Amino acid sequence: MPVETDVVDAGPATPQQMPAERPLLVASHVSRHFEGVRAVQDVSIDVLPGRITGLIGPNGAGKSTFLAVLAGTLPASSGTITFDGHDVTALPAFRRARRGMVRTFQLPSEFAQLTVLENLLAAAPHNRGDSLVGALLGRRYWRADEDRLVEQARVLLERFRMSAKESDYASSLSGGQKRLVEIMRALMLRPRLLLLDEPMSGVHPSIVGEIADYCEALRDEGLTILIVEHELHMIERMCDPVIVMAQGSVIGQGTMAALRQQREIVDAYLVG
Amino acid sequence: MSLIVAAFGFGLVSMSIIAISAVGFTMQFGITNMINLAYGQVMIASAFAAYAVNNAGVSIWLALPVGAVFGAVFSFLLNRLIYAPFQRKGTNLIGMVIISLAVSLVIANVLLPIVGYYSVSYHQNPGPTYHLGSIALTGVQLAIIAVAVIVMLAIYALLRFSRLGKAMRATAANPTLARNCGIPTARVVDQAWLITGALCGVAGTVAGMNSDSFSVASGSEFLIPIIAASILGGAGSPYGAMIGAVLIGEMTEISAAIISPEYKQVVAFAVLVLVMVLRPQGLLAKRGALAAAG
Amino acid sequence: MTYYLTTVLVYAAVDILACLAISLQFGVSGIVNFSFIIFQAAGAYTAAVLSLPSDSANGGFQTYILGLNLSFPIPWIGATVVGALLAPPIGLVVLRRLRSDYQAIAMLVLSVIASLVVTNTPAFLDGAAGLSLVPQPLSDKFNPYSDGYLWAYTIGALVLAVIVFFIAQRVINSPYGRSLRAMRENEVAANALGKNAVALKMTVFIVGGAIAGLSGAILVGFITTWAPSTWLYPETLILFAAVIVGGRGNNYGAVLGALLVPVGFEEATRYLPPFGPPGLIPALEWVCIGGLILGFLWFRPRGVLPERRRVFPARPKALAAGEQHAGRD
Repeated sequence: MPVETDVVDAGPATPQQMPAERPLLVASHVSRHFEGVRAVQDVSIDVLPGRITGLIGPNGAGKSTFLAVLAGTLPASSGTITFDGHDVTALPAFRRARRGMVRTFQLPSEFAQLTVLENLLAAAPHNRGDSLVGALLGRRYWRADEDRLVEQARVLLERFRMSAKESDYASSLSGGQKRLVEIMRALMLRPRLLLLDEPMSGVHPSIVGEIADYCEALRDEGLTILIVEHELHMIERMCDPVIVMAQGSVIGQGTMAALRQQREIVDAYLVG
Repeated sequence: MSLIVAAFGFGLVSMSIIAISAVGFTMQFGITNMINLAYGQVMIASAFAAYAVNNAGVSIWLALPVGAVFGAVFSFLLNRLIYAPFQRKGTNLIGMVIISLAVSLVIANVLLPIVGYYSVSYHQNPGPTYHLGSIALTGVQLAIIAVAVIVMLAIYALLRFSRLGKAMRATAANPTLARNCGIPTARVVDQAWLITGALCGVAGTVAGMNSDSFSVASGSEFLIPIIAASILGGAGSPYGAMIGAVLIGEMTEISAAIISPEYKQVVAFAVLVLVMVLRPQGLLAKRGALAAAG
Repeated sequence: MTYYLTTVLVYAAVDILACLAISLQFGVSGIVNFSFIIFQAAGAYTAAVLSLPSDSANGGFQTYILGLNLSFPIPWIGATVVGALLAPPIGLVVLRRLRSDYQAIAMLVLSVIASLVVTNTPAFLDGAAGLSLVPQPLSDKFNPYSDGYLWAYTIGALVLAVIVFFIAQRVINSPYGRSLRAMRENEVAANALGKNAVALKMTVFIVGGAIAGLSGAILVGFITTWAPSTWLYPETLILFAAVIVGGRGNNYGAVLGALLVPVGFEEATRYLPPFGPPGLIPALEWVCIGGLILGFLWFRPRGVLPERRRVFPARPKALAAGEQHAGRD
């Protein structure tokens, strides 16, 4: 049963064959410094629709900070961020999420004292009961929306094979399961762009491949993904292009194979 | 004008008392991440301990160490028996605030039946009054200032030169890292509470010496200027607390002279709220005040 | 006997309202409003100065602003509105990205400042002496000392408590309540998922403030006096203790806590024979409250009635015909 995760009509062609497509996300000369530390320096990237773009780099390169600035969790010190043609630089995180740019977190960020199903429902927009007035009008007013969203959430749970955990508290899940809940949660917003912050860190190796499978399946359905990761073989498998950051700046971009050829990249970023 | 100069003189005494207490308070925060709202009550309890000895005929200057020891032991037990266990249990920051409020409530109301509601004063000889222009201070008050200076120097020496001092600074900066470097953090914390507890006891006793009288209710009055000075100077930084004490001490006394004595407390409170809202990291920031987890 | 019963019940209604407000703010939404007592006091003062005649009356022994001699229910409505209006300024000051314990202390200090300012500005609300001889609702039509009036007042207060209870139930058990709880659990994540946490917090703050204001009006209309000594900051702590004991994040817990802690303690100590020096029993009361807080936070931090797990019913049978879906195990 296909999951509706994306409202963008990308057309019948596969993403790789569309030249000169408009980037979904453009970061232009973005910097972020705080208390004297220049975490991100003059970074400009394009994220093309329908692809999984990787963002890699050694520890302390500023990748997660940059992702946070893109998502709006942290404000940019300078530069602009354009999403789907609109300048979102001044928008707070929640507005960017409502426009279709949703992020996940590196550290487990599940809603601990809510059940798994509630975690998904909490993220879903377009619920008449999700306002003070709506709440006061009572169950009859919002029951239809709620039932619809419960259905939607259960379909997602089934796709990610976590239906059995529906009524478990999110805090009781394993690390990998929490990551999947975060991804499902983000999908409830039907995003156009998913920003994943190290979704595979600290996760059992068997789940790492699973997450990569889900990412590729979502991409094939038209979702655009920007993923920060250290698991380089997964990045190699999924991502095109790959952007490399070190010490707050972009030092290279291309496929993993091409990047491996560049000495400076390899030097800046050992391991492989 | 002379009123203001005289107020400045009183401010010197105020800042001395606040400095001694704020340094202890801020170090408790820096090393154990604990805003000890029961601090004022421990001060008062120590003041009463000194009073018990003083009332039995001992000179107040010999009763002062008694207050210090009482404060040290009391604070040490407070951390060992209540704060540390709750922190180990993973209680969040709000829970710890509620706990320290509950503790201060318990201390105050255990004290009340024991010492009574009425104010007491130390049997002390205020000594001659010294004048310098419009500034008029008694011998006791000058001695209090001297005590404060000695305590500040001692703390500086402790932190700068002693091994315990270095261990305390390391633990305050990063407890896990400190432990991994072989620092016995549990023991450092214990000693920190003993030392800061002693500061608390000394501060309480000299505050009692500076007042015409004090009662259990004075405990909560002490607390606000102390928190204000600590946060103004940057929570966790002893030197910041000293600077904060200077500012708060003078601000309260001079505003009391200019506006009215009743508003002395309001000024300290208002400064505290303003600092927390506008610049929570204070003047010499040490610990993160902005949206840390919890 | 009537006087005793009605007093207990009115206090119970007021405490229930206060605990419902705190439960909504603290238990459900994670807002630690240690300045709560300001809202209740503001409501009481508002109801008082709206219903009192001008301050030259009664020989002019008290000074206060307004004194409009308005009749019920305007003073109570005014109290609720003022409670709501106080929320944005206080909220803007403290509901920001600050360490939670700093926030809590700043709010506590605000309530102390408010107390000091009122005490030292006699022209405003009669300073430390406070307001007395506050006209009771509809006392120009009915005899406020009669049993009938007392019972009518009590029932009215309890009805209001029940109404607010049901309103709070609707809020908590709705998708909106779920968003509040999500924000409580992880505000940054909630923001990243499209929730406007700042707006959510402010709304809850305002609603809680309104309820608090109403509770103040109900109380002052019954006891007819109100002074700074009635609203010292430890009162807020008692209410928080009640919510912690009763159970966080749910209204039944709030009601239980209100009955156990503020009301229960008052009544329990009433029946103790006076022993020891005067003032010993109130002191013991406070020691017990402190001990209760510590005990519950150690042994049962969720409270007597913890927040219940929400389970959703399985799909309607029409859809599930022939399919075995593991919607619930």
